[in-house]
Amino acid sequence: MTAPSEARPGFRVFAGRFRTDRAAVFGAVVAGLLVLLAVFAPVLTAIEGQDIASFHSDLVDSARGGVPLGPLGGISGQHWLGVEPQTGRDLFARIAQGAQISLLVAVCATVVQVFLGVTVGLAAGLGSKLVDTVLTRLADIALAFPVIIFSLALLTIVPDAFPRPLLLALVIGVLGWGGTARISRAQTLSLRTRDFVAAARLSGAGGFRIARREILPGLAAPVITYAALLLPTNVITEAALSFVGVGVRPPTSSWGQMLSTATTWFRSDVMYVLIPAVMVFLTVLSFTLVGEGVRVALDPRTTRLTRKAG
Amino acid sequence: MTWRGSSLLVAGLLLAGTLTACGGGAQSASTAFDANNCQGGTLDVLNQDDAASHLDPARLYTSGGGNIPSLLFRTLTTRTRKAGADGAKVAPDLATDTGEPNADATVWTYHLRDGLKFEDGTAITAQDVKYGIERGFAAELPGGAPYLHDWLVGAQNYPGPYKDPNGIAAIETPDAKTIVFHLNSPHGDFPYLATATQFAPVPKAQDKGADYEKHPISSGPYKIESYDKGKSMVLVRNTNWSRAVDPNRLACPDRIEATYGLDPAVINQRLTTGTGKDGDAVTTDTDLGPSELAQLDNNPDLAKRVAKGGFPYTYYIAFDNTKAPFNDIRVRQALSYAIDRTSVVNAAGGSSLAYPATTFLPDNKNMGYQAFDFFPAGKNGDPAKAKQLLAEAGFSNGITITLAHRSADFNQDGPKVATAVQDAFQKAGITVKLQSIDSDSYTTTVSNPATQPQASVEGWGADWPSGGPFIIPIFDGRQYLAGGGNFNTAHFNDPKVNADIDAINKITDPDQAAQRWGQVDSEIMKQAPLVPLFHTTQLRLYGKNVKNAFVSDWTGVYDLSQVSVK
Repeated sequence: MTAPSEARPGFRVFAGRFRTDRAAVFGAVVAGLLVLLAVFAPVLTAIEGQDIASFHSDLVDSARGGVPLGPLGGISGQHWLGVEPQTGRDLFARIAQGAQISLLVAVCATVVQVFLGVTVGLAAGLGSKLVDTVLTRLADIALAFPVIIFSLALLTIVPDAFPRPLLLALVIGVLGWGGTARISRAQTLSLRTRDFVAAARLSGAGGFRIARREILPGLAAPVITYAALLLPTNVITEAALSFVGVGVRPPTSSWGQMLSTATTWFRSDVMYVLIPAVMVFLTVLSFTLVGEGVRVALDPRTTRLTRKAG
Repeated sequence: MTWRGSSLLVAGLLLAGTLTACGGGAQSASTAFDANNCQGGTLDVLNQDDAASHLDPARLYTSGGGNIPSLLFRTLTTRTRKAGADGAKVAPDLATDTGEPNADATVWTYHLRDGLKFEDGTAITAQDVKYGIERGFAAELPGGAPYLHDWLVGAQNYPGPYKDPNGIAAIETPDAKTIVFHLNSPHGDFPYLATATQFAPVPKAQDKGADYEKHPISSGPYKIESYDKGKSMVLVRNTNWSRAVDPNRLACPDRIEATYGLDPAVINQRLTTGTGKDGDAVTTDTDLGPSELAQLDNNPDLAKRVAKGGFPYTYYIAFDNTKAPFNDIRVRQALSYAIDRTSVVNAAGGSSLAYPATTFLPDNKNMGYQAFDFFPAGKNGDPAKAKQLLAEAGFSNGITITLAHRSADFNQDGPKVATAVQDAFQKAGITVKLQSIDSDSYTTTVSNPATQPQASVEGWGADWPSGGPFIIPIFDGRQYLAGGGNFNTAHFNDPKVNADIDAINKITDPDQAAQRWGQVDSEIMKQAPLVPLFHTTQLRLYGKNVKNAFVSDWTGVYDLSQVSVK
């Protein structure tokens, strides 16, 4: 009989546990809506009857520096979230595009981080002592790096011609794999001494096959858990980089960029600050709740607790 | 965990900003301003940038001697320190009058006042003024305006006093109080040019070359106590200066403390609230932001502390008129019709900080402004008319152009204005590709015909309030400089305009010249060589204890030599 700590819950068990976590479900719903907003941004903007680029100089008060006319930043049936100060461009369209950028960059960066982290972790865990030492030190360096500062430097020197969202994803991804690598290595080290790995090795399986067939499935739970928490981190990093002006370039909109422009507007047009701020907040909160839910649902110790309680 | 820290910081800052949003402040300045009883106190200057990239009179490029530089450097003439149009006239400073020209304005003679002294007590002589001008020619000290190179007889290649101590022969100093300039062509505007800091005296014995800027010798009402470049500067009274020898500057505060490197929003916030020392503060480089503009209507206390002025400045879209498609006047006219000046003005900060331009000269009497609009685009542009003109020119499917702009918005030639232009042109079938050029290299790139972009957003300000320095560098066909430093980006060359410029340069009466410049402006703009976008207005706040902060038409901002904090 296997100990509870070694139980690998199937998807149904996982889903069942996840569903009982109300915070996680709330997070999943909000995150789902955000993903829908991002995916269907052009469609929703078309339904609204607006576009990202058109100026509406009749909707802002020129004498007062271009503050949107009307209450709450010019929110109306035509402009669901009001208009941007100074230009009168539709805010909903720009927020929706911001969701695309934000999620796209965060997801791609997470994929890069997980891929690099797992590869390095596996290699370190299965490789010789020398390989392990070198790779672990590398991971330590990667962990110790001030990501924002290094990204600033990288993003400033790369020419503008390089597609910006892709660059952001790469930079955030390449600089942030340290944690995943450590977790993967630890898990690999504990798995490689197990009987089933030894059995596979005795039956003649090569290193690559062992890594792929025997170790990798065992890494899934901790890595997925960690990745679910990396995603909101990456949302924040993208917003912070765009905030300081090295993120996506105008006319592409992003939430961080809007927040940065909004610093001169927060007293005259509060909605212009609140809307992107709330979007960043909701994104980070919902994905963090989902991540936490995933962690709890995948954690074997939780299983034991729930069983005892039940 | 850097990311977590920085995001918390951002959130915290936003929250703090919102909480302190309800700043106001009581009025405390009670007594009326009296020039005879205004001395005392410390004036604080809150600025984004160091007022001078180089605090050397040879290297400053200022209009009318500048604001802070004019407190240290007296010049042969200076701007009149009066409000409105009177302030756009030239006043004698070191000299006894604004200059005696000969019959055709090619020889100008100045006499120095009695009792002029440097901060160390030595007398200021005509030789010191001559030496100061000669330093401006030195390659070691670049940055000043180019006029003297072109105007003085035989000075084109003068290498400066370090390489050629014999000096410029075209500047004579027959005695310690007389200085005579010989020009190679008539220049009625010479008294205006003599307001530049290159006309400030420099004692040869104390010249340290490029290091002179660390402690330039003052001839004005203040001298430097300490100066940390780019960060701060403290000025104290120059005891060898007095109002008896300087009728222009009041010099009310005993001490002036300038802080540089502040955020514009912070400057306006501090001036608005006016807590403690900030009540005695002013700024020389920051206009109102949207937060303050939004408060002006319902905050009378704030509204009365705003100085409004117009430093003559024009922003426009420039393109080479000799290259296709701009060599067809119908295409140029189409661009003029297509522009939406309302959205462009909004991008520049709204109608309080800019007004639409249909002329090249700004609305300023001394510039010779005459109102006209040859290609009436209305408030929001006339895309139909533009399309029709493009079709006539053979572009019925529209055209695509590349528009360059500065990468940052701190001037009004950045991405905001360029995007507004892009949007307006789109409606007229003109597709605009934006090209962002780094702020540091922007001017060099657009002013060199070899690297000049197809079209660019540009701005031009007055070196002095007269039509000449506004029109000549931009439209005189002989000022097209193929090797760089070229401001005639339109490559405009009309023999009639060139002849008019020569004729007006001979006129020594500013009012008469102004009228002629207005006519030349209209003659030029009929040919649509560029698309004028907007002229700027300055709205500057000052602290609640600051008095006598009036604005002249020359600088468009209040004058530090006139304000009082007592």
